[in-house]
Amino acid sequence: MSFPVLDEHPRKATDAATLRLFRARTAAWASLDDVQALRDRAYEIRMRAIDDLDAHLGQFVTALEAAGGKAHLCATAEEARATVARLCSGASLAAKSKSMLSEEIELNGALAAAGVEVVETDLGEYILQLAGEHPVHIIAPAIEKTKEDVARLLSAVEGVAIEPQLEALAQAARRQLQRVFQQADVGITGANFAVCETGSICLVTNEGNGGLVTSLPRMHIALLGVERLVPTLDDLSVLLQLLARSGTGQTLTTYTRLLTGPRHADEEDGPEELHVVVVDNGRKRIRDSRYKEMLACIRCGACLNVCPIYRQSGGAAYGTVYSGPMGAVLVPLLRGLEREPGLPHASSLCGACTAACPVKIPLHELLLELRRDLVGERIAPRAERFAFTVWSLLWSRPPLYRLSTRFVRFGSRFAALAGPGRVWAAGRALPQPARRRYRDMR
Amino acid sequence: MRRVQLFATCLGDLLFPAAVADAAALLRGAGCDIEFPPEQTCCGQPAFNAGHRRAAARFEQTFARAFSSELPIVCPSGSCASMVAHRMKTHYDIWELSAFLDAIGAEPPARNDGVRIAYHSSCHLLRELGADDAPRRLLERSGAELVPLARPDLCCGFGGTFSVRHPEVSVAMADDKLADGGRADVLVTADPGCLMQLQARGARLGTGRVVHLATALARGVA
Repeated sequence: MSFPVLDEHPRKATDAATLRLFRARTAAWASLDDVQALRDRAYEIRMRAIDDLDAHLGQFVTALEAAGGKAHLCATAEEARATVARLCSGASLAAKSKSMLSEEIELNGALAAAGVEVVETDLGEYILQLAGEHPVHIIAPAIEKTKEDVARLLSAVEGVAIEPQLEALAQAARRQLQRVFQQADVGITGANFAVCETGSICLVTNEGNGGLVTSLPRMHIALLGVERLVPTLDDLSVLLQLLARSGTGQTLTTYTRLLTGPRHADEEDGPEELHVVVVDNGRKRIRDSRYKEMLACIRCGACLNVCPIYRQSGGAAYGTVYSGPMGAVLVPLLRGLEREPGLPHASSLCGACTAACPVKIPLHELLLELRRDLVGERIAPRAERFAFTVWSLLWSRPPLYRLSTRFVRFGSRFAALAGPGRVWAAGRALPQPARRRYRDMR
Repeated sequence: MRRVQLFATCLGDLLFPAAVADAAALLRGAGCDIEFPPEQTCCGQPAFNAGHRRAAARFEQTFARAFSSELPIVCPSGSCASMVAHRMKTHYDIWELSAFLDAIGAEPPARNDGVRIAYHSSCHLLRELGADDAPRRLLERSGAELVPLARPDLCCGFGGTFSVRHPEVSVAMADDKLADGGRADVLVTADPGCLMQLQARGARLGTGRVVHLATALARGVA
């Protein structure tokens, strides 16, 4: 199914925000001594963890449990949902910080069904929860919303009109979320990285809510994609140098937290229990395929911000949790190519994503490989496979090329009547073949 | 005389033969002796990029029979040059036209004095071949005043089968590129694919003059 173009209003918002993030990244990269060397190191660190995932996972779990935390290894989304629901039994209110993995495993619905009220406390996610929508960008979930949209949504909660001014909106959200921080039994977050040598989880945010979610409630549950392991703290520092710069252009985000175990006897705050729910959900299968580089992704969003397709269509067009180039590669790998045959074609192969990726994932090359698999596994439509076979048999033979192209000019008159020619001609003039081919002109 | 093989590309051969002739004129002007291998057809990129590797392999064989890997091959397309350079097993001495002209120190005729030209960097020439300066340098040497695009990083929306799989997005991308280039007298691109896309949309809108780089250099666009 072909992607639509966003309406004018969300399109302008998306364009302005992605351009701002793109320019901020470019400036932040330029401020580094040698960004290419740093990208090479980051790639090496990510692939080292991925190539020996089981050993690194074992090391992380041992260190986490030595620090007083508990690891829960879940092979599937269903298992992860059930694990979190079990941990939350007896709780009535859960405060959440931003987590794309929780969207991937569809956690909120499962918790609601288990009788737990879940409130998103990341401002963007809270706005989307009020609107009944899902994130359209991995780091700026409500990127299509303007301050007027946000004012409308927040006003509806309090029944009074809130001015569409940033300060007034932030104050309103703070007011509305206060109860949640005070009363939540459980705090649920994602995890940007997990450090194997210390058992720490690293949370990278720009809002204070994350700190409240991980320290006020009695229990903290962190959702961790099994691939997000980093061997050492030194390795983490390399990735942190690139993550914020590539996402928002910041040197570091406002809050970069390293949490090691629950509250210890000599500490003043923190949860009584820390549970890290480690989710596979198809990742080890990717690790064993020729697409394993995709697991290096650190979810910075840089590829979305440079993607001309994302810019026109927005995140919802992809119809899945992850959008933009990283989503077009990752989602078919997680869900199966046969269930997402359209996503590998949601790209003009311009390569802007590959150039923007801080960990050097060859995104547009992986899209080419996925397209190859679409054909190899006969998921591509039979008519398309037939057309390319016939075309290649004709045009790869010079005499047949010469013969068939002699009539191109005649045939092109009818090209607008059906098939790809008709689709092309809906918005564009059909190209007119020249009277004489170059080969006849010489 | 420097001997080169000219690869017209299928779009060049069928849709833009004048641009290919202009490319040949530029090469001749730079002192090259041009061979046109008559058995050439298409590089097979449409098939390769759509995932049809077996179909693409047929074109690779045809290409190997038509061209020698000993002599430089020059083609007026960054995209086809990238296909030959990066997707074929045999190593060819393949060049996009402007990169080649720039490398041999060609002096284009001064046909664009004072003309305001916006250059659209085709994605594959820019990112896969890393040649963005050569076309700009040549245009400047021809006397043109280069008008910078606000978003030189954005694709024109062609992308092979992408243009018909996602027509609405493809056309919107072309609209943005044409509007961006609209501040100049003419928009110039080094790729027949971009040229076809932008001219086709421009014709429907009745705006925007889009010209191949070879034509802009050989004949001027004033």
